[in-house]
Amino acid sequence: MGLVHGEQMVLNIGPQHPATHGVLRLQVRTDGEVVSQITPYMGYLHRCFEKHCENVTYEQVIPFTDRCDYLSSMSMNFGYVVAMEKLMDIKVNDRVEHIRVIMAELQRIASHLLCTGVYGLDLGAFTPFLWALRDRERILDLFEFTCGARLLYNYMWVGGLSHDIPTGFVESTLEFLDYFEPKVDELENILAHNKILVERSADIGVMPKDVAISYGVTGPNLRASGVNWDLRKNDPYSIYDRFEFDVPVGVGGKGTVGDCWDRFYVRIIEIRESVKIIRQAIASMPKEGDVHQSLPKKIRPPKGSIYARTETPRGDLGYYIESDGSPIPYRLKMRSPAFTALSVLDEIASGWLLSDVLAILGSLDIVLGEIDR
Amino acid sequence: MIKFFSDIYTASVTIMGGMLITLKHLFNAKNGIATLQYPEERWPRPERNIGFDLGSYNVIRSRLHVDMDDCIGCLKCERACPVDCIKIETAKAPERGEDIKDVKHVGVTTNGTRKAMVVTRFDIDMTECCYCNLCTYPCPEECIFMTGGPNSKKHPIDYEFSESNRSDLIYRFAKPGTKEGMDKLLEDGESVGA
Ligand code: SF4
Ligand code: SF4
Repeated sequence: MGLVHGEQMVLNIGPQHPATHGVLRLQVRTDGEVVSQITPYMGYLHRCFEKHCENVTYEQVIPFTDRCDYLSSMSMNFGYVVAMEKLMDIKVNDRVEHIRVIMAELQRIASHLLCTGVYGLDLGAFTPFLWALRDRERILDLFEFTCGARLLYNYMWVGGLSHDIPTGFVESTLEFLDYFEPKVDELENILAHNKILVERSADIGVMPKDVAISYGVTGPNLRASGVNWDLRKNDPYSIYDRFEFDVPVGVGGKGTVGDCWDRFYVRIIEIRESVKIIRQAIASMPKEGDVHQSLPKKIRPPKGSIYARTETPRGDLGYYIESDGSPIPYRLKMRSPAFTALSVLDEIASGWLLSDVLAILGSLDIVLGEIDR
Repeated sequence: MIKFFSDIYTASVTIMGGMLITLKHLFNAKNGIATLQYPEERWPRPERNIGFDLGSYNVIRSRLHVDMDDCIGCLKCERACPVDCIKIETAKAPERGEDIKDVKHVGVTTNGTRKAMVVTRFDIDMTECCYCNLCTYPCPEECIFMTGGPNSKKHPIDYEFSESNRSDLIYRFAKPGTKEGMDKLLEDGESVGA
């Protein structure tokens, strides 16, 4: 491509476009039907959360972290409490750790279900989207059962949880997993091996290893490029070192390593791995334990700063917290995984056809709430 | 040429595979139906059976409600709110003459605490509220809570509270802080407390 030039054109996709997964504007320069450059413009969802956090106490930051990545609020809470506990040197008991892991993995399943379902929708398959959302709904019901909220939980607190899991939660979770496992196979069969989806995604938008690493892309997108990097394995936080699970990497099942299909398929395998983790966590969870045991009376961390990172469904989420010894953070910075995933878009999508841009964007699984914060 | 036909073949096989799965769902409608005819049918809200010490768990997110008779005006909920949507103003309970000494309060809460403050304004702006539940935990009298769930006996659930006027979503719980209102409070206090 490149020898024959068509008409040059500048095209705006978004900000109100269903395939941009939020409020994002892409300025696309096209040469005929071939994309020559993409400039993402974001900030349409900017709500000043980092600045807000400098004005509220450490407890009050948690509802704000919920609202950054609204599709995986539990993971956002988790990252924040891990950072705060490192800063304040709090150790929480085993029951809390187990509940946190169960919640985070349920959230990972919910988030990946949405991503894979919507990816099908982006490429024209409507049924799998409804099925994915139907199963996600069951997870949200479990969360509602636990903490009353379906999307924005404010469940994990610094030093514990807002409250214990309700009686019957473990049974309902196991019941859900038994129901869910065959549904994953079904989702894979109807979507992943479908010729139409394979044609639209295999060999498209290849992200080579070195590009992914140099842009700082993390999470499933990085693993799809063939890099075995998962913080749960490589830099275990909480109690992830106690569980047996595999880290799926892209192998180029239908084409090249690191293409859209790999990014999509890695997520489906990750759903299965999360199911494994939840089963192990439920089996080894202590029956007793006060979830409020290590809750500090007043959160007043010592002077200093901390950087802690956790693996959310979208990649490495880092929290940098600067404390000046008062009950209000001096500075709170989030390192957002979706931001780096969006920044690589120009690199991997230029040179492809216009209709492939949305296929590539969908496979990156960005959430604008987290990019803009 | 061979590729052309093999592509067509795989396409039809995989699409047929997909169709087969969907077809199975058509005849297995028992687990498949997800649509709920909302106003007539409602999704059963999960029972929140925590198992122990039910009262202290506010595991529901819904409309906030304040039992004004129990509020002592300690401002703890106002301070806990991350978006500052609770506005409270209080006034010291007036003296009630020299002869009765320790009745500088306007009644007693259900927990037996004396209300030393008159709450003249207690507004919650439900348009701003982010349902984080942070205000309900610190309340010493457990009088601010989300309706329904474990609190159903105090207040039934009420999650359809849309209004056509935005200002109707600012809930004013306090009785107006007029002279008459204050006198009324004092009278109530006498009958309950002291
Ligand atoms: S639920 Fe949260 S936002 Fe709403 S009034 Fe209570 S503390 Fe404020
Ligand atoms: S915390 Fe409870 S008692 Fe105190 S002002 Fe708020 S509602 Fe009233």
